[in-house]
Amino acid sequence: MAEAGGNGSGYLLEARGITKYFGAVTALRDVNFHLLRGEVLGVVGDNGAGKSTLMKILSGLYQPSSGELLFEGGPAAFTSPRDARGKGIEMVYQDFALAGNMPIYENIYLGREPGLRLPGLTIVDRARSRAMAQAHLDKLKIHVKSVDQNVEDLSGGQRQAVAIARSTAFDARIVIMDEPTAALAIKEVGKVLDLIKGLKDHGVGVILISHRMDDIFYVCDRVMALFQGTNFAEAPLKDTSRNEVIGWIMGAKGHREALAHDKV
Amino acid sequence: MKKHLLVGTIVGILGVASAAQAETILLNMKGPGAGNPFWAAVEAGAKEKAAELGVDLVVMSPPQESDVQAQIAQIEDQLAKGVNAIALAPTDPNALAPLVDAAKAKNVPVVFVDTKGINDGVTFIGTNNEEGAKLAADHICNSVEKGSDVAILQGIITQSTGQARADGSKAGLAACGMNIVAEQPADWDRAKAQSVMENILTGNPNLKAVFASNDNMALGAIEAIKAAGKLEQIMVVGFDANPDAATSILAGEMAASVAQNPKNMGALGVENALKLLKGEKIDPVIDTGTLLVTKDNAAQYQ
Amino acid sequence: MAMYHPGLAKFLETYGIVVIVVAMMIGLTIMEPMVFLTPTNLTNIIKQNASAALLALGMFVVVVTAGIDLSVGSVMALAMITLAVANRAELPWPVVIVVGPLVGIACGLVNGIGLTWLKLPHPFIMTLGTLNIARGLSNIVSGGAPISGLQPEVRFLGTALIPFSATDPTIGLPASAILVAVSAIGLAYFLHRTSVGRHIYAIGGNPQAARVSGISVDRVLVLVYALCGFFTGLAALLLAGRTNSGFPNAGIGAELDAIAAVIIGGASFFGGRGTVLGVLAGVLIIGLLRNGLNLLDVAVFWQQILIGLVIIAAVYMDVLRRRAAVRT
Repeated sequence: MAEAGGNGSGYLLEARGITKYFGAVTALRDVNFHLLRGEVLGVVGDNGAGKSTLMKILSGLYQPSSGELLFEGGPAAFTSPRDARGKGIEMVYQDFALAGNMPIYENIYLGREPGLRLPGLTIVDRARSRAMAQAHLDKLKIHVKSVDQNVEDLSGGQRQAVAIARSTAFDARIVIMDEPTAALAIKEVGKVLDLIKGLKDHGVGVILISHRMDDIFYVCDRVMALFQGTNFAEAPLKDTSRNEVIGWIMGAKGHREALAHDKV
Repeated sequence: MKKHLLVGTIVGILGVASAAQAETILLNMKGPGAGNPFWAAVEAGAKEKAAELGVDLVVMSPPQESDVQAQIAQIEDQLAKGVNAIALAPTDPNALAPLVDAAKAKNVPVVFVDTKGINDGVTFIGTNNEEGAKLAADHICNSVEKGSDVAILQGIITQSTGQARADGSKAGLAACGMNIVAEQPADWDRAKAQSVMENILTGNPNLKAVFASNDNMALGAIEAIKAAGKLEQIMVVGFDANPDAATSILAGEMAASVAQNPKNMGALGVENALKLLKGEKIDPVIDTGTLLVTKDNAAQYQ
Repeated sequence: MAMYHPGLAKFLETYGIVVIVVAMMIGLTIMEPMVFLTPTNLTNIIKQNASAALLALGMFVVVVTAGIDLSVGSVMALAMITLAVANRAELPWPVVIVVGPLVGIACGLVNGIGLTWLKLPHPFIMTLGTLNIARGLSNIVSGGAPISGLQPEVRFLGTALIPFSATDPTIGLPASAILVAVSAIGLAYFLHRTSVGRHIYAIGGNPQAARVSGISVDRVLVLVYALCGFFTGLAALLLAGRTNSGFPNAGIGAELDAIAAVIIGGASFFGGRGTVLGVLAGVLIIGLLRNGLNLLDVAVFWQQILIGLVIIAAVYMDVLRRRAAVRT
C-alpha cells in the first residue's frame, strides 16, 4: 500500500531538475519525479530516452550534472554504487548479474557475507548465511529445492527471483528493476511480477523500467514516460491506457486509437 | 632323468645369477640423440661398448638441453631402481652437483661426459677444447704468413668450453707470431657472428684469417666475408665439424674445422664407468680426441 | 535404463580425480613392484614435484579468475638467481630466504597492477611481457652463469628430510612436502572460507556480478597475481635448495606444466571452478606419469605425448560438463 513517507515532502524518493551531460551530449534535462513507499512506478521510454542514465544516477554509478535528489525527505548524494546500496537503493539487472558457479545463498550475500569481520576480509559464517538466505526466500515466497543449488542450475525465473532476493536482503528501501522479465520464459513472468507485488507489501518502493505493457499494467501504481531525456508524461495507471502509454514512448500524447498495436 | 634335471637347475640358477650380475650403467645426455647427430653419436658409441663389455645400458636424456629438472628426476628415479654407475653430460653443472654427490655417497660411481661438472674427484671424459683450438690455430699458422692480421670469434666466454677454445686459439696464434687484431664474443650464434664479423672487417682491411669457436659462428662470419667480397683472401676455421660445416669446406668456403669425437665419449664413458665399478682407478681427465677436418676428410662429416 | 545418481555424479566431480591418482599408483605398483612403492621412490616423487605443486597452486588462483600467468617459470628463475646473489653477498640466511618470495610477490604485483591499471584485454598479454622481462633480468642479474653454493639453512626447505627411522637417515618425509601441505591447506581455507576467497570465485564466474555486489574487482585481481607470485617465490626457494644454485635456465616451460596440472586437476579454463585438492591431484598425475615412465626406461618424448593427451582429455571433460549444465 502506497503511503507517504518521512517528513516534509512525504516522498520516499524525489528527483528535482536532474540534468546530465556527457561532454556535448545532453542525456537528461530537468527530470523530475517522485516515489512513495510501497509504490511501484513504471518508467517507459524509447531507446535513448534516458531511462538507464537516470537509473545509473539513482544507483550511484553516475552523479547528476545538476539538480538534486531527496531521499526520505532529506538531501541525498549517492557517490558510488556501494554508497547507494548502503543507503538502501538496490538494482536488479536484466541479465541477473549472478555468479552461476556459486550457490544461491552465496550470491544473495555476495560482497556482504555474514561472519567474523577482520581487517581486509571476513571469515564467512556459512551456516548463518544459509539460514538467513532460506528465511529470506521464505519471506518472499520464493521456492527453490535448496539454497545450496548453484545458480546456473536454476531456471530463468528462479534466477531472477534470486536476483530480487539479493536486492532485498539488506532492508532495501528502493529497488530499481531494469527490464526484469525480458530474459524470462512466458510462464515465469507471472511469478516474478507477483514477487514484485510482494515487495510492495513490505513497504519497498519499486521503480520498474519496462517496455512490456502487460507487465506495467499488472504491477505498477503509476507510470511515467521519458522522451529525449526529459519528462514527457505521467499518470496513475487507472487514469491511462496501454495505447496512451505506447504513444508516450513514441512522443505522442493523448488517447490515440491509431496507435493501437494492430493499427500502427 | 634326475641328472638332467639337476644340471638343468644348476645351469638355470647360474644363468639367473649371472644375469643378476650384469651391471646397469645409465648414460644421461644433455639432449636427446633424436635430431642431434652429436648426441646420437655419443649414444651409438656407448651402446657399442656396452654390448662389447656385457653391461646393461640405459640411455636417457631430457627433452631439451635446458630442462634441468627433467634430468634430475630421471637420474633420481634410476638411482632408486638401483643403477650401478652413471655417465653424465649435465644440463647445468651447478644444478646437478648435489645429485652427483648423492650418487657418490651411495657408492654409485659417476663420470662426466662432454660437459664438465663442478664436483671434485669426478673424472671428465671429453674434448680437450684447448688442444682442439690449438689444432685450428696451427692450421692457420701453416697456411698464412707470419705477422698477418687474424681474428678470433669467441663463444659464450663464461662457459668453460668458450673459455678453453678462446685460450687455446689465442695461445696457438700468438706462438707462431700472428697479429691478433680482434677477439670478440658472438655467443655461438650465427647471426651475431655475422654482425661481429662485419664490424671487424670494417676496421681491419688486411685481415687474413678468422678462427670461430664453433661452426655456427664460422658460417655466419663467412656470410659477412662473402658480402664484403673478401672470401678469397680470408681463411675461416670453425670448430665442431657439423654437416653444414663439412658442406662448406667441400665447397671451398670454409677452410677447415675441428671435429670432436662424440662416439668416443660414449664408449669411454661406459668403459670408465665400468672400471670404477670394478674398483680400478682412472685418470681425472680423459681426452676423447680432436681431429682437423679439411677438404680431404670433410666428406665423412656430412 | 540409466538411473540418475546425483550423489555419484557429485562425488565423481569432486573426488574423481583422486580416484584416478589412486588407480595410477596401483597400476604403477603392478608394473614396477620392486621399485615403485619403495620409500625412496615415493620420497623422490615428492621431491621432484614439490616446487611444481607450489607453482600449480599459484596458477590455480589465477585460473579461478579466468586469468592466466605465463610468467611463473621466468619469475621463479629470477627469484632463484636473486636469492643466490643475496647468498653470495653473504647476507644472513633469513634475509636470503625471504628474498625468494619477495621477488615473486613483486613480479606478481607488476602483473596485477599492469593488467588492471593499463586495462589490458587479457592477462595473457601482460604475463607474456613479464615472462620475457623476468627471463632477461635473470640473465642480467646472474651474468648468464649459474651461481652455486647456498647456506645450509637456505637449502633446508628444499632438501631436508625428517627421517622415518634412526637407522636410515636418507628415507623420510621431505620438508618440502610439509611446506606444500601447509600452503595447500592455507590456500584452501582462504578460498573456501573467507569473503575474499569467495569473491575470487565470483569474479571467475561472472565479473559483472562481482562488480555490482560492490567488490573491487581490480583490487582482488592484484591480490590474486601477487599471491601467485608469492607461491612462485616459494617454489624458487625449494628448487634453489634442491639444486644448491640459482641457474638462468631454471623454470623454462614450468608455466606450461603448472597450467597442465591445474587443468588436469579439474579447474575450468573459463574460471570460477576447481579445488586445491584437484590441483594437487593434477600435479601428482603428471608426476606419477613421469616417474612411472622413467622407471620403465621409456623415452621422455612419450611422457610429453601422454601428458598432452591427458590435458586434452581433462579439458574435454570440462567442456562436456559445461554442456550438461546448460541443458538442465
